[in-house]
Amino acid sequence: MAEDFNTDSMLDMFLYESDQLLGELQNTVLEKKDEDCFDETSINEIFRVMHTIKGSSGIMMYENITKVSHKLEDVFYYLRESHPENVPHLELVDHVLDVADFITGELDKIKEGETPDGDETKIVEDIDKFLKRLKSGVEEKGEELPPENTYVAPSQFYIAPTGSESNKYFKASIYYRSDTEMCNIRAYTAVYSLKEVVEDLEYMPGDIITNEDSGAVILEDGFHMLIKCQCSKDDIVNAIGDTSGMDRVEINDCTQQEFEMGFHDHGPEHIVIEMEEKDKEEDNKGKKKAPQPGDYVIKGKETGKGKKLAKSQPKPSHKQSYISVNVEKMDALMDMIGELVISEAVVLQNPDLKVPGLDLTNFQKAAGQLAKITTELQDVIMSMRMMPLTNTFQKMNRIVFDTSRKLGKDIELEVIGENTEVDKNIIEHISDPLMHLIRNSVDHGIEDKEDRIAAGKNPRGKITLEAKNEGGKVYIIVRDDGKGLNKQVLYNKARNNGLIGNRPMSDYTDREIYQFITYAGFSTKEQVTELSGRGVGMDVVVKNIQAIGGKLEIDSMEGAGSEMTMKIPLTLAIINGIVMQVASSTFVIETNAVKEFVRITREMIVKEPNGEEYVMLRGECYPFIRLNEFYHLSDNVTDIEDGIVVLLEHENKYVSVFIDQLIAEQEIVVKPIPSYVKRVRGISGCTQLGDGSIALILDIAGLIAGQERS
Amino acid sequence: MAEELMDVLNEADELDEAEDLGEDTQKGKFMTFRIGEKCYGIAINYVSEIIGAQSITPVPEVEDYIKGLINIRGKIIPVIDVKVRFQEEPFDYTDRTCIIVIDVKSTTVGLIVEQIADVITVDEKSIIPPPSLNPNSYGRDRYVFGLVRVVDEVKLLLDPEKLIRDEDPTMLE
Repeated sequence: MAEDFNTDSMLDMFLYESDQLLGELQNTVLEKKDEDCFDETSINEIFRVMHTIKGSSGIMMYENITKVSHKLEDVFYYLRESHPENVPHLELVDHVLDVADFITGELDKIKEGETPDGDETKIVEDIDKFLKRLKSGVEEKGEELPPENTYVAPSQFYIAPTGSESNKYFKASIYYRSDTEMCNIRAYTAVYSLKEVVEDLEYMPGDIITNEDSGAVILEDGFHMLIKCQCSKDDIVNAIGDTSGMDRVEINDCTQQEFEMGFHDHGPEHIVIEMEEKDKEEDNKGKKKAPQPGDYVIKGKETGKGKKLAKSQPKPSHKQSYISVNVEKMDALMDMIGELVISEAVVLQNPDLKVPGLDLTNFQKAAGQLAKITTELQDVIMSMRMMPLTNTFQKMNRIVFDTSRKLGKDIELEVIGENTEVDKNIIEHISDPLMHLIRNSVDHGIEDKEDRIAAGKNPRGKITLEAKNEGGKVYIIVRDDGKGLNKQVLYNKARNNGLIGNRPMSDYTDREIYQFITYAGFSTKEQVTELSGRGVGMDVVVKNIQAIGGKLEIDSMEGAGSEMTMKIPLTLAIINGIVMQVASSTFVIETNAVKEFVRITREMIVKEPNGEEYVMLRGECYPFIRLNEFYHLSDNVTDIEDGIVVLLEHENKYVSVFIDQLIAEQEIVVKPIPSYVKRVRGISGCTQLGDGSIALILDIAGLIAGQERS
Repeated sequence: MAEELMDVLNEADELDEAEDLGEDTQKGKFMTFRIGEKCYGIAINYVSEIIGAQSITPVPEVEDYIKGLINIRGKIIPVIDVKVRFQEEPFDYTDRTCIIVIDVKSTTVGLIVEQIADVITVDEKSIIPPPSLNPNSYGRDRYVFGLVRVVDEVKLLLDPEKLIRDEDPTMLE
């Protein structure tokens, strides 16, 4: 039954939901981390999150997650019910974060298709100790303990009644022959097969699944069940079947009252507690014992929990209505819309319409309407790809908290503008660099408490994380009020590491000196720490940022702090480009890279004997590339004075390119060159122009590199 | 209710069968086209569509047989000239020139051919392996995995994977 039960979509749902919940959880915790205790709302919130994760992980049968979340839920249940005072708040925060980390780790394993096999024992024990301490604190004060939180780990011995009239009640006992082994599992098999036919079922001992020792008890006293069902005795006997080792089955009628009373000396609550204790024992001693009794449980739980799921369904728990869509579908939609815009142009500018004397009033009206809709469509699809930075920034909160505590620094993180929206692709790419920058600030930027006090600063360090939109770019700024960068130290270091040759320090502007820290193999921190300082890092950060067309600017004031600004394009997919023509080919250059267009005279060209050419502009000398020669194109303008020279800049390097003519500036959708075509130097992608033709996008960095090599 | 359900299930079964048949119907079928004097065939399950010649954007500095890029409904795909690929003289593109769009291992490529012929069904047993020990086996023959005789003409069956894979020593870096 469990085998043909498709859990794929359930698994997706579980992973997605749990991720969200854990995110929520961490936010709540981190928000309140500086207060003295959790307020009631957040306690309820954490309780709810843990409860949900416990439930769903139970359904998915990730036992370690279930156990951990159950334990934490206990703590918060206790907090909620008895409002104890003097809760060691930071310790509690730690516990919650530990649990969150553990579950996240396990979820990652599941995502990778591995089995979540993390050992939960330690966390469970720690929390248990913590809870006991809390409780003993309350008892000392003579307050009353709230009742145990008696949620039972997945309903292994209780099936939700479906509520039907003509119920019969039976008391069944199974006795096994004295030489039978693993009676508990045999008993469970019986329970499992009974679940198919009965409405409700209780059994004793109640811990057959989790406690191997229960087998002995069953052997001694038999296995007893209370059954509520609509079928006859015979059906039950058939369902139990004739398992090997079974001695005899006794089935007697009983009344509803007897059934509801249960096993009087083994009330459900009792069973739960016992189970938990046994759980721990088992975890401690029999961790590696195979096969675990739990391994066998798989089928049973599926059935039991399946019903529970159905029961909880009507609860309207959706706060936001989101659907997650496959990115491929989005891309396909975007392609289609791009195509639609082009066909629109083809229709509206159709040469057939150019017949003189044609009355186009109605046509133009309709065309106007169509144009409006397509533009809106384009806006919508673009906005669909935009996501707020909120999640990314919240993760940083956690990083500041963790690293600052490890380093024993007191740091507060201020977040500004986390609602700024950025293309989804870009968000994926900035998370890592941002994390690095934040860590750097915490580790290298902010001084120790003593130093801060000595410098007359607030002993509490402050890091500001800010996002804003400016001129078609997103600025993400990490600012700290730490010690700032020391130019002299940076210069010496860069020089000693042979990164900059022998130019004197006065040759560099302040910003250039700060940029040294982004060079590969540069680390100013003498001590390599666990967190940062291996000298890799900043160069990787910069590479990552450049990969998405952004750049990193560094500013600093010694003694007052530093500021790292990532300037990132709003979207990867669309750039502003200048369309130009060389011979019969059309090229596009990113507008940002263009410094100027000039018409030049022959005298401005300097030709070296080796064939390299330079162009002199206002006393400066720039490398000169004739694009037609570069790409071996023919039929182009050859006379320098007929064409146009475009001066391009990339990372403070310049190159000038000779082209035939400019066509237009427009927004273009960047598409990769199909991988089948080998990489062409100086070309980074292609795009479709308004008329459906294809233009190649020039890659300035590639052009410059090619020029330097030659 | 139950009956309806059964009907639906039956229909689904039938659909499945139809799909199975669909795969079967493609078996042994080859799209044939002409390049110069010769007639070539390509297994039909590779073919995703056939489009008329359209303007091709050349890409500089690539192998000569890669004619450039074309745009089909927002997707940009490379096109290769099969005749040039076989190291024969290039031909002029006319109205009859077609581009066969093939999908090979998730690479989409357009093949420029002089003229589309028809679809033929070939019995697997009648496919003869190309004669080996051919001293000139470099060139066209390495793309041909078999020969088949239809009426009085020999058709060369192409292996598209080899056709688009790059093992050309003259390839530019």
